[in-house]
Amino acid sequence: MTRSNKESAGGDKLILVGNPNVGKSLLFNALTGAYTTVSNYPGTSVEVSRGFCEIEGNRYEVLDTPGMYSLLPITEEERVARDILLAEEPYAVIHVIDARNLERMLPMTLQLIETGLPVMLVVNIMDEAEALGMSIDIPLLQEKLGIPVIGAATARKRGLKEIRAAIAAFDRQRRAVFGYATDLERDILKVASTLAGEYRIDRRAIALLLLQKDGGVEELVRATEKEAGYAGVEAAVNAVVFERRSDLHLRISLERKRVCKGLLEGVVSQQGREGKRFAERLSDWTMNPWTGFPILLVILYFGLYQFVGGFGAGTVVDLLEGSLFEEHINPWFISVADRLVPWYWLRELLVGEYGVLTLGVRYAVALVLPIVGTFFLVFSVIEDTGYFPRLAMLVDRIFKKLGLSGRAVIPIVLGFGCDTMATMVTRTLETVRERILATILLALAIPCSAQLGVILGLLSGVPGTLVVWSVCIALVFLVIGFLAARLLPGEKPMFYMELPPLRLPQLQNVLVKTLTRMQAYFLEIFPLFVIASVLLWAGKMTGILENLVSAMTPVMHALGLPGEAAAAFIFGFFRRDFGAAGLYDLQTSGMLSAVQLAVAGVTLTLFVPCVAQFLMMKKERGWKASIGIFVFVSVLAFTTGWGLNRFLLFTGILA
Amino acid sequence: MKCGFCGREIPDEPGQEKSCGTCPGGCRKVHCPYCGYANPAVPGFLKRWSKKKDDKREDES
Repeated sequence: MTRSNKESAGGDKLILVGNPNVGKSLLFNALTGAYTTVSNYPGTSVEVSRGFCEIEGNRYEVLDTPGMYSLLPITEEERVARDILLAEEPYAVIHVIDARNLERMLPMTLQLIETGLPVMLVVNIMDEAEALGMSIDIPLLQEKLGIPVIGAATARKRGLKEIRAAIAAFDRQRRAVFGYATDLERDILKVASTLAGEYRIDRRAIALLLLQKDGGVEELVRATEKEAGYAGVEAAVNAVVFERRSDLHLRISLERKRVCKGLLEGVVSQQGREGKRFAERLSDWTMNPWTGFPILLVILYFGLYQFVGGFGAGTVVDLLEGSLFEEHINPWFISVADRLVPWYWLRELLVGEYGVLTLGVRYAVALVLPIVGTFFLVFSVIEDTGYFPRLAMLVDRIFKKLGLSGRAVIPIVLGFGCDTMATMVTRTLETVRERILATILLALAIPCSAQLGVILGLLSGVPGTLVVWSVCIALVFLVIGFLAARLLPGEKPMFYMELPPLRLPQLQNVLVKTLTRMQAYFLEIFPLFVIASVLLWAGKMTGILENLVSAMTPVMHALGLPGEAAAAFIFGFFRRDFGAAGLYDLQTSGMLSAVQLAVAGVTLTLFVPCVAQFLMMKKERGWKASIGIFVFVSVLAFTTGWGLNRFLLFTGILA
Repeated sequence: MKCGFCGREIPDEPGQEKSCGTCPGGCRKVHCPYCGYANPAVPGFLKRWSKKKDDKREDES
């Protein structure tokens, strides 16, 4: 038979599914050899591989689906993988999982079994699991799951014979059933009993997906049940969702985890060590409040205070700004301009007080870039270890007191990177109340990475101001969050997040991420710093800046700051870090005392978000809410600055 | 690429990099579809550099 004849002959379908990077494609290649085609799945840009194989005289068509984490799709790739399961008629669905991460991947096996599809499980990468000292009792797991389970290491061609044998002997009629808690089962049954049409997958699985508001399955049910029947289904789903409120997702997820834990009992054992590995113990410590907060303080002290503040803002900035720019580059620019440019206005534009070269380039290259560069380095190291999701779990308890769900931890933690992006991420929160609360807190008390880096660099030079700043910002965050939670009543949903493993940072990853962030940051700020210099120059030449500074001088004086600080506040609105860099200049020229430095740092951090964040607030929350937040944040920033100045002068702290 | 926050694999397909529209000069971040985290979009020269290093390591092993 020629190849084309074979392809047209088709065969029973074997569908490979599983998370990305578990060895699906290796298994696909091992099964199919050269008989493969790759084409886009209809109507999408996602590629699906198809191939053919022959096992014990029977011909099979093998489909390699895109990686998926759950039957509830989020990405287009996952949607395609799920659609293949819903649309094709498989002889067997082969779920490939990573032996090293059984607990994380087994919930999807349960989901697949729930659908009623004929499932077999391949526990792959067994060799690496064994190298880690793990021992997996495959026959016991098979007995508990009630489906064929094969241990394999496809990269080493181990287990392929057993997989072929299992396919040949596969009994499609054998089915396992797993029960959830009684109340959840009652809800599932309530929805499943309203489904009258014919479906390729089990009604119970359809009901679960409907309860989790899966758009694709809603469409499918609407089309199958027609409008009259769908109304009843919708009513049943809404009744359960209303009764359970927003914890339904979490509840289903935790139930699956509970079942998986039971399934894995006695199946996995770790040889050569007692109890948990160090990485697992460290992971637990980072999330326990008693050990987690001291660990956080150690990270902040060594990572941010010592490295960013001491090394970045001290040593590197002194070298670049103090020695290179102030002593060599700027004097050279000025002397060249004095010799070659006869016009005062152009000299001012290039090398004057707010000159493009003497201020814009100096701020961007010598002051801000080294500070944010060292900050990005620390940030990338922390990110690469997988610490951030643990930080989210750690602060979850405090967040619940602020009326925020643990999910709000994600945008708040992300805000330390970029508040604009974090404001966009607030849309993932479940209630409008939470979104508004998180937006307020982001605009008010969460400094972005650039501002945080520069503020840390600025304050770390004067001991004590950093402590005052940290306490003040934390207090404002907690008090405003606490009050806002009481003024805006509503539901308080639970938070659950699957944690990636804690690991040692990889030097290459850290370098690539740091350089990427520095390049992106520099490309973004350089033109803005030049524009800001031009605007300041134009303001100086026309007298507008003087008028603006004069108008703000009483406010600055009320805060106990010199009038010159007004410019830093005006331009802090355009770029948070530009404002902080302005303060840095005032500080290094000896114009700010320790008290003034602390007051200016706190007020500038709390002060209105940058223009990009304001536009994002408008996009997400609308004009009314964003202007309201803008006014509230501005008034609160200056009131706090005024109060702090009075307090510090009265108590003599920092004197 | 793997998300720096939740550790999940972000599908590497054209058009995946959804921009929030506020970064001057275009978006240089890849938003994770699972948690919303903005991962830095690695520029071409760094991608090539890291790939070269990976290839070299594979050749040596």
